[in-house]
Amino acid sequence: MTKIGDRLLGLSLLVLALAYGWGSQQWPAPFGTHETVGPDTFPLLLAVALGITSLYLMVKPDPDNAWPNSRSALELLFAIGVLFAYAALIEVLGFIFTSLVAISLLSWRMGAPIKTTLIIATICSVGVFFIFNDLLSLPLPSGIFEVQ
Amino acid sequence: METLGFLIDGFGVALAPENIMFAVIGAFVGTLIGALPGLGPANGVAILIPLAFSLALPADTAMILLTSVYAGAMYGGRISSILLNIPGDEPAMMTCLDGYPMAQKGKAAEALAISALASFGGGLLGTIGLILLAPVLAKFALSFGPAEYFALFMMAFATLGGITGKNPIKTLVAAILGLMISTVGMDMSTGIQRYTFGILKLFEGIDFILAIVGLFAITELLLFVEHHLDGLREQIKVGKLKLKFKEIVALIPTTLRGGTLGFIAGVLPGAGASLGSFIAYTLEKQVVGKKGDFGNGDPRGIAAPEAGNNGASSGALVPMLTLGVPGSGTTAVLLAMLISLNVTPGPLMFTQNADIVWGVIAALLIGNFVLLVMNIPMIGIFVRLLSIPTHYLLPIVTMIAFVGIYSISHSTFDLKFMVVFGIAGYIFRKLEVPIVPIILGLLLGPEVEKNLSHALVISDGSWAVLWGSPLAIGLWTMSISGLMLPYLIGPLLRKRFQKAKPEAVEPDND
Repeated sequence: MTKIGDRLLGLSLLVLALAYGWGSQQWPAPFGTHETVGPDTFPLLLAVALGITSLYLMVKPDPDNAWPNSRSALELLFAIGVLFAYAALIEVLGFIFTSLVAISLLSWRMGAPIKTTLIIATICSVGVFFIFNDLLSLPLPSGIFEVQ
Repeated sequence: METLGFLIDGFGVALAPENIMFAVIGAFVGTLIGALPGLGPANGVAILIPLAFSLALPADTAMILLTSVYAGAMYGGRISSILLNIPGDEPAMMTCLDGYPMAQKGKAAEALAISALASFGGGLLGTIGLILLAPVLAKFALSFGPAEYFALFMMAFATLGGITGKNPIKTLVAAILGLMISTVGMDMSTGIQRYTFGILKLFEGIDFILAIVGLFAITELLLFVEHHLDGLREQIKVGKLKLKFKEIVALIPTTLRGGTLGFIAGVLPGAGASLGSFIAYTLEKQVVGKKGDFGNGDPRGIAAPEAGNNGASSGALVPMLTLGVPGSGTTAVLLAMLISLNVTPGPLMFTQNADIVWGVIAALLIGNFVLLVMNIPMIGIFVRLLSIPTHYLLPIVTMIAFVGIYSISHSTFDLKFMVVFGIAGYIFRKLEVPIVPIILGLLLGPEVEKNLSHALVISDGSWAVLWGSPLAIGLWTMSISGLMLPYLIGPLLRKRFQKAKPEAVEPDND
C-alpha cells in the first residue's frame, strides 16, 4: 500500500494555504487605520489551520485507496468529457438533443444495452422538456432544433 | 402550552391544500430515493433544492416538500435492505441483518410491513420529541453570544465526522476547504473583493446550491462509472401479507425503545441516523438476550433499527432548526434550502419564522401517517421500481441536476462549475476526505466569520473572549473530545460495525 495520495493532497493543500494566506495580505487596509478585525482576519486564521493540517497529512498519511486502472480511468475521462460537452452545448444544440445524447452515452458506457438506452433517453429528455417548458413554465433551451 | 398553540398554527400551514400536495409528493419521491440503491437521502434532497428554488415555491411549502423527502427516504431505505440485502441508504444497513433472512424464509411481505410500522412508531416518537425539545433548546440558545456561537460552530465541525469517522484531520481539512470557498466574493462588512480574481461571476460568491449538487450527484455518477457495481440483483418476491394483530402488539416495546434511542442519537452531535439504528439494534439484542433469534430473521431485529433511524432523523432536525447547526449530511442540505430561502436558521427562527418551523413539524406528523399508508398498501409500486438498474438511474439523475441548476441561473458557466465540483468531490472521496464538512463549511462560513468578528470587536481584539464564558469552554471541550474520541473508541466501534454489516457501504451521507 502506497501513501502517495495523502502526501500529494497534503502538499497541494499546503500550497493552497500559502497562496490563500498570501492573498489575504494583498487587500488594501480598510479606512479607520488600526481596525482590530479586518477582512483578512478570518482568511488568515483559515490559512494557518489548513497549513497545520496539511503538514499533518504529509507526516502521517493514510494508505491509498485503489486508484482506477487505466481502463476505468479512460471511462472516467470519457464521462467527464460528456458532462462538459453537455454543459457547453446545451444552449447551442438545445436541451432535448444534448440530454438524449448525454444520457445515452453515459448509460451505454455503464453497460446498458443500446436499444433500451435510446428509448429511455428519448422518453426522459422529451418528457422533462415538456414538463418544464409547458407545465412548469421554466423554459429550457430549444437550440437549433426549434420546434415552432 | 404555548407550544400547543404554535403546533395548531403549524397544522394550519401544513393542511393548506398546496402544502398537503407537496408533502405527499415529497413522501413518495423520498421513499423512492431511499429505496433505490445508489441514491442516498442527502443526494436526493440536494437534487430537489434547485427545482424547489426555481419553481419559486413559498418558503413553508419548499421546506415541507424537502422534509417530507427526508422522512420518506428513511422509510424507503429498508425496502432494498429487505428484498436485495443491499441497504438503500446507510442508516438502513442494520435492517439487512434480520430483514433479508426473514424475506428469504418467504416472509418478505411481513418484514416490509413490520418495518413500515416500526418506522412509523420511531418517526412519530421522534417528532414528538422534536416538538417537546426544540422550543426549550431554542429559548436556551437565545442566551448565546457571538463567542458561544463561534464555539458552537467549531463543535459542529469537530463532531461532524462522527465517532465512527476514520480520520478526524480529514474532516477538519474538509471543513476548512468549505469555509475557504465561502470567503470568495465580496466581504460583507467592508465591501472588499476577496479571491474573485476579477471574474464577475465570483463577485457574489460561489453559489452553494451548485456546489452541493455537483458534490453529490456528479460525484456519485463518477464513482459509479469507475466501479460498475451493477450486476443482476436477485430480488425476493413479495408474497401475501399475513400479519396477526398480536404480532404487531408484541413489537411495540421494541419500537418504543428503538425510537427513543434513535431520537437521542439524532439530537447528539456527531451521531446521526446510522448510529441511531446501530445502537437501537445492538441494545435490542442485549435486552432480548438469548430468547431472540437475531441474524436469522427475528422481527425485533427489523423493528429496532427501523424505529431507531426514523427517530434519529427527527432528532437530527433539533440542532438544525434551533441552532442552525446540522449534524448530518441530509440536514446540512436542508439547511442550504433554508439559507437560500433567506431564512436565518437558529433560535430566532422560532419567533420570526414560526409558521415555517411549526409548519414543517406539523407536516412531519402528517407525513408519518401518509408514509405509513404509502408503505403498507402501496408497497408493490416501490418494489417494482426497485428493479430500475443504476446505469439508467444515475444518468437520468444527472440530467435532472443539469435541469435544476440551469433553471436557477440560465448559465452554462454554472453547469461547468458544477461538473468541476463533481470532479473535485470524486477526488476527495477517493482520498477519503468527507464531503459533508465541505458543504457545512460552505454554508456556515459567513455566519462563522460574522460571529468571530463580532466577538473580537466586542473584546477589542482579544482572542481570549472566544473561551471567556463557562458555556463556551463547555462547547470547546466537546469539540476537542469530538476530535479525540474517534482515536480512542473509533476502531472498536468500526470493528463491530464491520462485523455486523453485510455489505460495505460508504459511511458518508445519512
